[in-house]
Amino acid sequence: MTDARTDASDTARLRSQTPSTSRSAVRTGAVARAPWILLAPFLALFVLTFILPILVAVGSSFMKVTRKGLFGEAGVTESFVWFDNYAQALGDGNFLASIGRVLLFGVVQVPVMIVVATVLALLLESASAKWPGAFRAMYFMPYGVPGVIATILWAFLYVPGLSPIVDVAGLVGIEIDFFAPETVLWSIANIITWTYVGYNMLIIIAQLKAIPGELYEAARTDGAGPWRIAFDIQLPLIAPALVLTTVFSIIGTLQLFAEPQLLATFSPAIDSQYTPNLSAFTTAFAYNDYNVAAAQAVLIALVAFLLSFAFLRLTNRKNK
Amino acid sequence: MKPLTRRQLLGVGIGAAATGLLAGCSTPGTASANALPVHPPAGGPVTLTYWAWLKGLQKVADIWNAKNPDIQVRTVPIPGGNAGGYQKMYSALAAGGGPDIAQIEMRSIPEFMLVNGLVDLNRYGAQDIASRFDPTLWSQVSFTGGVYGIPQDSGPMGSFYQTSVYDKIGAEPPKTWDEWAATGRELRKVDAYIDVFPLNDASVFCAYATQAGATWLKPGDDGWVIDMTDDATLKVARFFDGVIDDDVVSTSIAPYGAGWFAAASKGQIAGWTVASWGDAIIEGVAGGSGNWRVAPMPTWGADGYGSSYLGGSTAAVLASSKHPAEALKFTTWMCSDPEGIDALIEHCGIGWSPAADYIGAARRQPSEFFSGQNYNEEVFVPASRQQSPDWSWWPITQQSFNILADGFRRKASGGTLVDAVAAAEEQIMTAFRNKGLSIRRAGS
Repeated sequence: MTDARTDASDTARLRSQTPSTSRSAVRTGAVARAPWILLAPFLALFVLTFILPILVAVGSSFMKVTRKGLFGEAGVTESFVWFDNYAQALGDGNFLASIGRVLLFGVVQVPVMIVVATVLALLLESASAKWPGAFRAMYFMPYGVPGVIATILWAFLYVPGLSPIVDVAGLVGIEIDFFAPETVLWSIANIITWTYVGYNMLIIIAQLKAIPGELYEAARTDGAGPWRIAFDIQLPLIAPALVLTTVFSIIGTLQLFAEPQLLATFSPAIDSQYTPNLSAFTTAFAYNDYNVAAAQAVLIALVAFLLSFAFLRLTNRKNK
Repeated sequence: MKPLTRRQLLGVGIGAAATGLLAGCSTPGTASANALPVHPPAGGPVTLTYWAWLKGLQKVADIWNAKNPDIQVRTVPIPGGNAGGYQKMYSALAAGGGPDIAQIEMRSIPEFMLVNGLVDLNRYGAQDIASRFDPTLWSQVSFTGGVYGIPQDSGPMGSFYQTSVYDKIGAEPPKTWDEWAATGRELRKVDAYIDVFPLNDASVFCAYATQAGATWLKPGDDGWVIDMTDDATLKVARFFDGVIDDDVVSTSIAPYGAGWFAAASKGQIAGWTVASWGDAIIEGVAGGSGNWRVAPMPTWGADGYGSSYLGGSTAAVLASSKHPAEALKFTTWMCSDPEGIDALIEHCGIGWSPAADYIGAARRQPSEFFSGQNYNEEVFVPASRQQSPDWSWWPITQQSFNILADGFRRKASGGTLVDAVAAAEEQIMTAFRNKGLSIRRAGS
């Protein structure tokens, strides 16, 4: 988008500077048109599958259906109700609880995952690492397992009666219930961490590889050990990658859906509104209340936007 | 006039498209198909699409297809009910598409009516086939003078139990729930639970309350009438509060989950009060052959009924269908003709047939797994006749069950089922009103 805009303004400037003959007008016209033609497939899909659905959802979130008779057989009216649906969504204790739940999840899981990913990346990029390529592939592998499969896989490691972990813990005298109301959130956190640590590690490694070799040489010449290099050269220089992975993780946390949805069949503690996305999904397609679901979806988007924005502001200020 | 720039044009275009879309896009499911003229029978051959989660259903359709070249049925497998199937149907209906026939649970029929998703089959002559079906089940698909689905299977309840575990304490299967609780206490001494009680699935509690004589929601002249805090429901809630507190039933093992199978095969779960379709699940318990039997469901003493229904589904014709008359012909054959019923049992392993006078040839034989007992004729035929005729489902069943289950889950942290039921009644009334429906409490 930005590229296209600069291109367009460049050509406009060009046009105003050069005296316009008919041939060059045609040429500049074609040049001005080119980015739009090239962008058209993207723009069409972007508008159709992104902008329009958002507009429809926002519009829908302000409407309400009233029915006469037992099922609306005596008449259905639809009316504009301002923020009634938002009030209903925010008045729903389960929906609020789901937002609180993923926030708690994010506060614990995101830092753990980013720290683990950073440590792994630093280890694999350190001079003394053995077979870094093999380990990199190994740590990244869980990301190649689809979330649904990963969840089923872990569920079998969690479920009592089948799980070797529960059996071994039982031998030592520890009773673990991975599906209890107070533990299941962390059982999900474990699956998410397992899946995404390798992915985040790879982004950080990419940034580490971009650090020029001279910096390391200079540091070593000045007598810096591996710890000093990690803390004073590598960490400051991979900060952008850390910010990026953290923002992605915050957004991902708010969108938790597949893992709790699947684990619900194993754990009675997971209800149909366990996470905000599950909540909107249930409201729309199990309760058929598209209007309130739209309001919930808009609220989720707002929270994700606010959190990402707040985090970026925070890190920007630190940099200054 | 200055010509518009491309950007302005694009902006105008997007704006116009958005306005048009928003204007044309009212909330889905607010227009009724049953107010439109009936679809005339097709002149030539038609192909019906049938969404269902029954396995092997195409084999049943093929039997029909071979004999009816003009009405061909193509089945499409979908996820079961609220595990994704309904979500798929609702989105298809909202988008104006969808199959001709869909598998919909008995309890979800009113939910689909609320989004104008179903065809009133009486407009195509369904009243003429009413006598072929069990009257209780037929009444559960009949609303406001119409019929909105053809009953396909159902689940009269009985009590499955492991003879080897009962023999350890020398017990007979209990006849009443009080005896059941006493037997359960004995079984705890041999490290077995008599049954499990799911806190996250309210349909089981609902079935027990129905057996005790409760009718939670009734259609009234001026809207819905709710009565969830009647004596029958509260009695059942108090009873299960007691047995859960005394650790007579397990609430941590989910019925027919992996943990349940493991516990059942080790004899730690002695039995299961469930619908007739539980037989197929129990046959998956390792080493269970010859060890299980079936007894009638325990009763609530003098009150209530001998059994209850748990589960059950219909073949409903969706509002998107252009051929309801043909769809009705096929579903009538499938659900009430002995050939259709036997095929459904053989290929799909359906639950109890809702036909009035045919249970299926395969179900009239004694079962080797169930200790040679002819349990279908012995237990489930009488059970299917001892049902509450007054029960009816309502348009937000799933939401109500979720509300109840949310309350039940608090049992794990000190709440009670009695409180959960009372609180659920309030919340369900709010949910009705949020749907734009009118509701009042019985007797008010």
